[in-house]
Amino acid sequence: MTFPSLVLRNLLRQRVRTLLTVLGISVGITTVVALGAVTEGMRQTSGAIIRTGNADFMVAQNGASDFSFSTVQQSELDRIAARPDVARAVGVLYNITGVGGNAFFPEMGVRPDQLPAIVGRSTAGRLLSGAPDEAVLGEGAARSLHASVGESILLGRTRVRVVGTFRSSSRFENGGAYLPLRTVQRIAGKPDTVTAVYVTVAPGADPKRVAASIERDEPTLATISSVSEYGKVDQGMTMLDALQLAISLLAVGIGAIGVTNTMVMSVLERTREIGILRAVGWSRRRIMTSVLGEGVALCVLAGIVGMALGVAAAQAIMLVPTISSFLTPVYAPAIFVRAFAIAVLVGLAGAAYPAFRATRLTPMEALRHE
Amino acid sequence: MSDTAPTVVSVRDVHKAYDDGRIHALTGMNLDVEQGEWVAIIGPSGCGKSTLLHLIAALDHPDSGHVHVYGRDLDVIGDAAAYRRSVMGLVFQLHNLLPTLTAVENIELPMFGSGRGRHERRSRALELLDLVGLADRANDRPTQLSGGQRQRVAIARALANDPPLLLADEPTGSLDSDAGRRILDLIARLRDTRNLTTVMVTHDTSVATRADRIVEMLDGRLAEGQGAGASPGAATGRLVGARMLADPAGGTLQESRHRGGRHG
Repeated sequence: MTFPSLVLRNLLRQRVRTLLTVLGISVGITTVVALGAVTEGMRQTSGAIIRTGNADFMVAQNGASDFSFSTVQQSELDRIAARPDVARAVGVLYNITGVGGNAFFPEMGVRPDQLPAIVGRSTAGRLLSGAPDEAVLGEGAARSLHASVGESILLGRTRVRVVGTFRSSSRFENGGAYLPLRTVQRIAGKPDTVTAVYVTVAPGADPKRVAASIERDEPTLATISSVSEYGKVDQGMTMLDALQLAISLLAVGIGAIGVTNTMVMSVLERTREIGILRAVGWSRRRIMTSVLGEGVALCVLAGIVGMALGVAAAQAIMLVPTISSFLTPVYAPAIFVRAFAIAVLVGLAGAAYPAFRATRLTPMEALRHE
Repeated sequence: MSDTAPTVVSVRDVHKAYDDGRIHALTGMNLDVEQGEWVAIIGPSGCGKSTLLHLIAALDHPDSGHVHVYGRDLDVIGDAAAYRRSVMGLVFQLHNLLPTLTAVENIELPMFGSGRGRHERRSRALELLDLVGLADRANDRPTQLSGGQRQRVAIARALANDPPLLLADEPTGSLDSDAGRRILDLIARLRDTRNLTTVMVTHDTSVATRADRIVEMLDGRLAEGQGAGASPGAATGRLVGARMLADPAGGTLQESRHRGGRHG
């Protein structure tokens, strides 16, 4: 018999209570993992948007609450494009529309002559020629819409002809369609504006300096070159991060209360046993380690269950076509490390008080307990 | 023997009260116990027998006076847990075995923190089970054992770290006479083979007669006419050589002690 096995055996004495506590704590861990995977997926989608067309950086409206609300005026786009340190500036207008059962279909408006700079070559058919009713579908969108080159489809309330398809590593881009910029501006009711500008600097120019210079010259705009800067133009990610932190704290708080309740009951029921253990030579520290160990073991078990349920929940979310069209959950190791750390923290926090109580008992008090 | 055997337990003018001084459990108790001696403490209920045992076990502190074990004052002992683990073994009236553990696992409990590894703990526990005649019940839980068997497991547990001192609080109190006799036989054997010093609390005079010496307590102290020590001269009045009581042939206390050959 080892000390850890003794600790685990104590947990198995009240199987139903242990199971219910594990389930209670695992709900919090499940949320942490599922939300973490979704947030990480969102981050990856954002990263893909930032790197559209292999640009050096993206320019969007500074302080926009959501990236899709970003507005860059045509005049601003023209000034950026005219800079000598900028080789190419591609303006893209994003518009979300409903297509079939997918309420989150991305329509992306771009000047037809600039589309090759973004998607490269078409994988079927051709790219945009300039006609206002043309659309080039991402391969993912073509699959989900069962649309092939030459067909006419309805995007929102606009009928377009599919003239070609393209492939992108970005699920967001791959699940949408490129249309002529003016067409999307008309559909969205946003004439002479784009959502973002993708900038490729001139040979020899330093992207960081160019970005800083643009921010100086265009105070209403922000330049983004990495996901960490995405918060400048989209508060959504910041809110998600805050939400994740809040849920983690809630998970710790609620879980700790559950563990405290369970462990207080456990210590109370075993008061006499604690007295016996003290009488046979167990130190206060060993008693404390035993109770803390039970709390941590309980939470690690809940952590494992919660992680499994979290992955299952994230996958279940992907069954919603609207979400899966632009998002893939990303199970970054950091998510599981965080979930595990939360589980251990909950265990320690929840078992601290019962452990303290157990060590405060004198052997005689404990032995007299009925 | 008493001239040469070292004093293991020395209790001097110990007072102990409970309930904010309303209940006086010990009122100037004195006692000396020598190495290898088996002392039975008898007296009516509430006379302070168990309180005395708990103080010797360092489970509680005296209000005044001193308890020394092997020369160490228990009131200022640094690590009481280490003392309980290594110097003494405690046997309760009710076996106090953990119900979820098997017999062998219960015996392993005091060995946590003793520096023994898992295999050594198990091997030692099995050895002790064999010593108390329960080698074949190692994997039984307390509920699968009889009262006498449980108490034998409890004694084995008390001996886990090979302590020189055994403290037994009514070890036969919950047993029938046959099972009780076996427990007393076991304690006698341990005294004879291991030179184990035993302080046993009992209210049963017939049980006390198995000990080397009987100490009678009354109202929290030695009953009138008794000395704290174990000198043959003290075996007068109410401090009676136990084996003299048990042995109709009589003889001095000293003689009866040597009969077991334990100090030879």
